[in-house]
Amino acid sequence: MATKQAHAEAARAERSEELLSPSELFHARSRSHKIPVRGQKEFLPTGSEQQKTHLQKSLQEHWTLVAEERVERLGNLVNAEWIPEEKLVKLQSPAGKFWQTMGFSHCGKQCLLPEEALYLMECGNVQVFYQDLPLSIQEGYERFLSPETVTLHQYQVFGHLKRLGYVVNRFDPRQNKQLKRKRSHSPGSRSCEKQTSIPQEDTAVGPCEDVLTGEPHQTIQSKKEQDEPMDSGSHVDRAPERNWWTAASSQSRSMTGLPAALPWDFRLISFPDLGSSRAARTCLAAPDPELLPGALQVGECKMASWLTKLNLKEEKLSRRERERQRERDRYKRSVNDDREVRRCTNWAEYLELMKKRRRQRCKERPAHLWEKDVTPLSQPGLCTSHRELLEEVSIIQSSHLLEEASKLPQLDQWRIIFNVYQPDTVADFKKSHPGNPYTRMCVCSFDGPVPDLRVMKQLSFQSADIPVTFAVVDHGDISFYCFKEFKLPSDFY
Amino acid sequence: MDCERPAEDHGTRQNGGAGEGGEAAGAESEGDRERSREPRVNISLVGGTPLLWRAGDIRRVREEDGVVGALVGSLARQPRQNVRLGRPLEILQEEASLLLQRGRAAVQHTHNQEDEESHVKAVEAYQSRLEHSYEEQCVLALEDKKAVLQRVMNAKQNDHTCDEGTEQAMRERLSSLQKGFTLPRSAMAVQLCTARAGFGHCPEEAAFLAADWPMPRDERSETRFRVYRDLRGRGFYLTAAGKFGGDYLVYPGDPLRFHAHFIALCLSMDEQLPLCDVLAVARLGSNVKKTVLLCSPRDSGVEGEVVYSSLQWSGMV
Repeated sequence: MATKQAHAEAARAERSEELLSPSELFHARSRSHKIPVRGQKEFLPTGSEQQKTHLQKSLQEHWTLVAEERVERLGNLVNAEWIPEEKLVKLQSPAGKFWQTMGFSHCGKQCLLPEEALYLMECGNVQVFYQDLPLSIQEGYERFLSPETVTLHQYQVFGHLKRLGYVVNRFDPRQNKQLKRKRSHSPGSRSCEKQTSIPQEDTAVGPCEDVLTGEPHQTIQSKKEQDEPMDSGSHVDRAPERNWWTAASSQSRSMTGLPAALPWDFRLISFPDLGSSRAARTCLAAPDPELLPGALQVGECKMASWLTKLNLKEEKLSRRERERQRERDRYKRSVNDDREVRRCTNWAEYLELMKKRRRQRCKERPAHLWEKDVTPLSQPGLCTSHRELLEEVSIIQSSHLLEEASKLPQLDQWRIIFNVYQPDTVADFKKSHPGNPYTRMCVCSFDGPVPDLRVMKQLSFQSADIPVTFAVVDHGDISFYCFKEFKLPSDFY
Repeated sequence: MDCERPAEDHGTRQNGGAGEGGEAAGAESEGDRERSREPRVNISLVGGTPLLWRAGDIRRVREEDGVVGALVGSLARQPRQNVRLGRPLEILQEEASLLLQRGRAAVQHTHNQEDEESHVKAVEAYQSRLEHSYEEQCVLALEDKKAVLQRVMNAKQNDHTCDEGTEQAMRERLSSLQKGFTLPRSAMAVQLCTARAGFGHCPEEAAFLAADWPMPRDERSETRFRVYRDLRGRGFYLTAAGKFGGDYLVYPGDPLRFHAHFIALCLSMDEQLPLCDVLAVARLGSNVKKTVLLCSPRDSGVEGEVVYSSLQWSGMV
């Protein structure tokens, strides 16, 4: 009696866990293999009996199909084992027909990738064991699918394409072809390695720039005060020579402790005293032509005439002039307030800065159109075809998708995951020489962003000549999109 | 284009709607509390997506909670086709949240931490079940073969085509079958389970697992959830509508038999929708012959109502 009760309880437990009895298993061989066709849908529920019975019938068919369990002949099943450390499934009995397009050899054993194993489990070809117990399909989904192997969405796309008959395998960006099948080295190297990133272009500004802005301004002021007492000693009429540019920069660096970029020794620079009574007799020597921009000729400068114009009293501005002064202060900025200008140590750098600013300001104005003389873009009779003429008058240069794509850094969210080969090549398909795939697959969802030009450039570059298709997964529905490069025709006949 | 505020209630309550009697969205009723004492439906999370694996669970949530979902796995009967798919059932985040809130479901732990002893016991149980199944199938196979032979004998007898000799031969075949027949091991039928066996239904564990479910985190998921709860409470069936440029497809009855009437778009009350988006979605709706529904929950508290506006392309004659 006790055993019978135990059996009954076990049977009840089995019911709830959806386990089939031996009798059910035996008679499964005579199950129908046909799928009933779904009828036309109706528009409005009327609550009529006919609708109710129709609905019940459809639902009953639906539950029958959904609840059906997979039953296979033991001899038809290939046994395999899941190895979580390597994220692989190793076959324990010889592979079947699927070996032609799936799987690879590793250390003498036949292996399957997790998505391949899961698909074959769903087809009822392979039984995967883990720790001596067979894995259910649910456990397969939970254990095999992960961000390190293949995600659920990616597996859905994989399964969808396989069921349609395509040959699908993993994409390996490093070799720009599918994952190498025959390997003889250690299991550790098999795991998908992260791509090495292309080193970023170094666009950082040099560190000494900021130091220059702070220091020189202050030192000039302090040195000025120091220089004046030095100068008052000399009673020479002629202005002292300007020779600070010849001072050895190394001397100044070691003695004053200024940053190396400064070439001046301010103790040797004498600033002319134009404010004292002796000033009328001074005249400034001509500056060294090296220091001047362009081809300027500056001779000696007699100070007398200038000094008479110098008013040492504080200016009293009229109200209007004060207003003007205020406006100037508010709306106009002195060029010396500009940090970037202060960073320039000579005229050449200043001109470069001005050129750069002009270029940035006039980005919409291409240099070849605005900087030179105004000339006609083309002359009659000069061009012999439409294409030539269009090239002459073109303002925008047409680009192609792969232009400068190699310089783009690696992307995190987008990656090509599968190679897809046409179904009609299955008979001749060889894993060692698969040839070029029909397309490469990248999986995304409607929740995420639409791929922008950067993403497309990067993926097309990775994919070489093969077009990339985007598979968008939305609750079991998969839509495929691809972007095609298009060139406007330029020749007309 | 024609804008109405608020939309008329098209839905007629179906028997499979959210429980017996008028249940306000989100409010717990007697039926709810009673049902929450029943064994819960298992939700398995794979990469954040909620899946249902047991056929019984899938049926219950459809009949009792109006959760339709989408089947995303291979169909057991014919795995190599895409027309009809099988388990698992993928459900919406909102559906999973609602089931958990109502105590109708519990999130299943992916890796049961088994100790050594129970694992050994499980392996033993599996082996013994396999043996038992094999023995039973041997018996059934023998009976099957005998029945076939018997049928042939009867047919021959009825036809009067056999003579004494062949009858004798057949009887000998029958007896040899009885004695020497064995079912080869490779011919045994074996089940490849879809759902995982053995989830403990102890309530403390289930409650603990429900606690770490990702409830709506940002404003968008919160809006979607409230719209879902409201529409479900009115008796509509809802599925995903990414292909139609919306959030939900709204059916007046079971999607197996009826077409969808609306494409629901969830927006927060103060969200600004550019006119070109409104045009695009209205155009899409008219192309597929469905009314577009703009749904916004009113900010007043968690139990606030949802406001609906429908868009229908109409002409000026």
